[in-house]
Amino acid sequence: MNRIRIIKDRIAEGLTWLSSGISALVLIAIFVFIFKRGWSTLNWDLLKNNYNSENLMAGYDHIDWDEHGAFAAPDTLPENAFFSEKYGVAFVDSVSAAKESQMEVVFLDPESPLQDGKITTAGPRQGDKLGLEEGLYLKKISYINLEGDKKSAGLTATQGKTSEELVSVLDNDSQEVVDFYAQTEGGGLKGSIITTLLLIGLTLIIALPIGVFAAIYLHELAPKNKLTAWIRSSIELLSGVPSVIFGLMGMTMLFQVTRLMGITGQSTMLGALTLAVILLPVIIRQTEEALINVPDGYRMASLSMGATQFQTIYKIIIPNAMPGILSATLLSISRIIGESAALIFTMGTAIMDNPAWNTRGTSLAVHIWTVMSGEQPNFELASAISIVILIIVLILNVSVKYLTYRMTRDKDDQKKKNTKVKVKATTET
Amino acid sequence: MTTEQQNKNKTLIRERSAKRRSLYKSVDRTMQFIFRLCGLIAALMIILIVFFVAARGIQVFLPGYENPVSLGEFLTGMRWRSDQGVYGVLFIVINTIITAFFAGLIAFPLSVLSALMIVKIAPKRLSNALTTVVELLAAIPSVVYGVFASGAITDIVEKMAGWFNYTTFGGNSMLAVILLLAIMIYPTITSMAVVAIRAVPESHELGSLALGASRTQTNFKVVLSSAKSGIFAGLILGLGRAFGEATAVSMVAGNAFVGPTWNPFDLTRTLTTTMLSGLHETVGVDYDVRFSVGIVLMIIILITNLAINALRKKMESGD
Repeated sequence: MNRIRIIKDRIAEGLTWLSSGISALVLIAIFVFIFKRGWSTLNWDLLKNNYNSENLMAGYDHIDWDEHGAFAAPDTLPENAFFSEKYGVAFVDSVSAAKESQMEVVFLDPESPLQDGKITTAGPRQGDKLGLEEGLYLKKISYINLEGDKKSAGLTATQGKTSEELVSVLDNDSQEVVDFYAQTEGGGLKGSIITTLLLIGLTLIIALPIGVFAAIYLHELAPKNKLTAWIRSSIELLSGVPSVIFGLMGMTMLFQVTRLMGITGQSTMLGALTLAVILLPVIIRQTEEALINVPDGYRMASLSMGATQFQTIYKIIIPNAMPGILSATLLSISRIIGESAALIFTMGTAIMDNPAWNTRGTSLAVHIWTVMSGEQPNFELASAISIVILIIVLILNVSVKYLTYRMTRDKDDQKKKNTKVKVKATTET
Repeated sequence: MTTEQQNKNKTLIRERSAKRRSLYKSVDRTMQFIFRLCGLIAALMIILIVFFVAARGIQVFLPGYENPVSLGEFLTGMRWRSDQGVYGVLFIVINTIITAFFAGLIAFPLSVLSALMIVKIAPKRLSNALTTVVELLAAIPSVVYGVFASGAITDIVEKMAGWFNYTTFGGNSMLAVILLLAIMIYPTITSMAVVAIRAVPESHELGSLALGASRTQTNFKVVLSSAKSGIFAGLILGLGRAFGEATAVSMVAGNAFVGPTWNPFDLTRTLTTTMLSGLHETVGVDYDVRFSVGIVLMIIILITNLAINALRKKMESGD
């Protein structure tokens, strides 16, 4: 080998190292970016809160303000909190997941008059008790100032936009509080998480039987003819169709199916039906892979004992192919969690807090799409949801890998055993 | 017990077992029918998809439609203004093909080289690690890629534009789409190429080595050309994904109104972003025309498949 050859080889080999290195770098970059952007936003409150915050309004007309004296700030108060001695309440400024500034009530003295509010707006709940609570976000508070005029302060008013200002206004300028307007914490993922779970359940109920049965037909029953070949290539084609097209198909074809169920618009059911079609090739391929791994001897033994074909399938083949069917299920779940384009068409992009099978809703992936496609893309929230999705998808994929590993290992073990027996047999003779 | 009774019992048992057997048989037959039905449903889906999407997509060009769109203008138009009722798809088609082509151009060599690395060059442990990298990249949902692209890739593109004294719309540009698609189709092509390279018979390699070729020469000349068919199948799949990718691309494309886009730092618009943009109502021309775009997309994917298959056949017969 001459020197030029060696140099050329080195360069060529170096290129392969370089390109694999690039791919690893890209993967790391994606993970670092998503975790860096989203980690600080991610917490339990985000996962369990509603997306739309509830508005609370109540008045204090009935309270005798002279009864209450001054309050003392507790020792446990956070450093950035501001305490109103007059009303026994403390606020902290913060920024919500939707990037809006907010004012959280972090402490309310048990004796504070502010917790004895009553709903004053007309309606069935008028007169019910509703007071300020710890954990609520104050928007506005109305008070009577020292001159006897009604004024308001808070985030939506002209003054008192920070906790410090608000507390100083309340302590120095007010005689009594008239009413307040507060909100529960919003921007949470509860609705989307429920929708995602609902979607996974509905989709699997529809797709698994059809997919597994189709795989059984193709592998166990189908004669080797043109029709079977056509069925196989059609299913193969289906896996190449982009998911937007599935979304369109859902809106024309499967829409008619959900209409029979009495649903008039986009719905979780429609999304599940569409996803079921998307998943058919995945489930069929995985299940067939598992069926191939079931040794032929099992089938023959069962049939020769007089079992019918269905009995063989039901009692022998399906139990033995279970790891494959399970890995098909896990792969399907990971597909469902990641799918977005088809669902934007079939389930809409409105985030719902109380989703049902026959209403619109957003899965976690579509939730990301909704917060990213608004006027102000919210990277922090999108990245936080991405972390949730990534973790689930990675766990599912690792489990699938483990299942396939076990499936093939079992088969290898059997082969080894068989060869051992054969070797023994030959040596004995 | 008299023989008469014994005979009676025997016939009774025989009858019962015959009954049971016929029951089993009918269950068997019903289940076989259900299995076959499921297979047929799965196979029919593709036909139903094409039929239903086409039926709704053609509707907007027919005279009976409320505000019919002219088919000629649709196919040759260079402007897409849904607010003015102007729907021209030609520049979108060109944009789609350009972005997918360049994404393929970037990803294809990287994929083939990485596949070669995984199968032939890397030691076992590194090879396993790289396989995991590719699998993870394939498992990341497209919407997560979209978040990454609109946060990180757009930043890079904006900086690059700065070197050439261009200003971008926050980095949303054709280049961002190309880079994003390259990353997204890389795992698809790589995993297909790995399968293809694994399938190359060892005798080919041994023959090449015996003739005095170096290990690297063998890998690049013999292994790759033997695995050509499978690698091209991977390219088809990859380009199909590039054409059909919707959510991630929508986050960085920017949806230009006119085109085609030639400057990589300008906004672009692809078929899929058009289908997803401004999706509010589910009736009217603006909605139905998305189905027409869907037909165009399916036709492009079909033509690409046929073209690459033809190319592959030509290359194979040339050997």
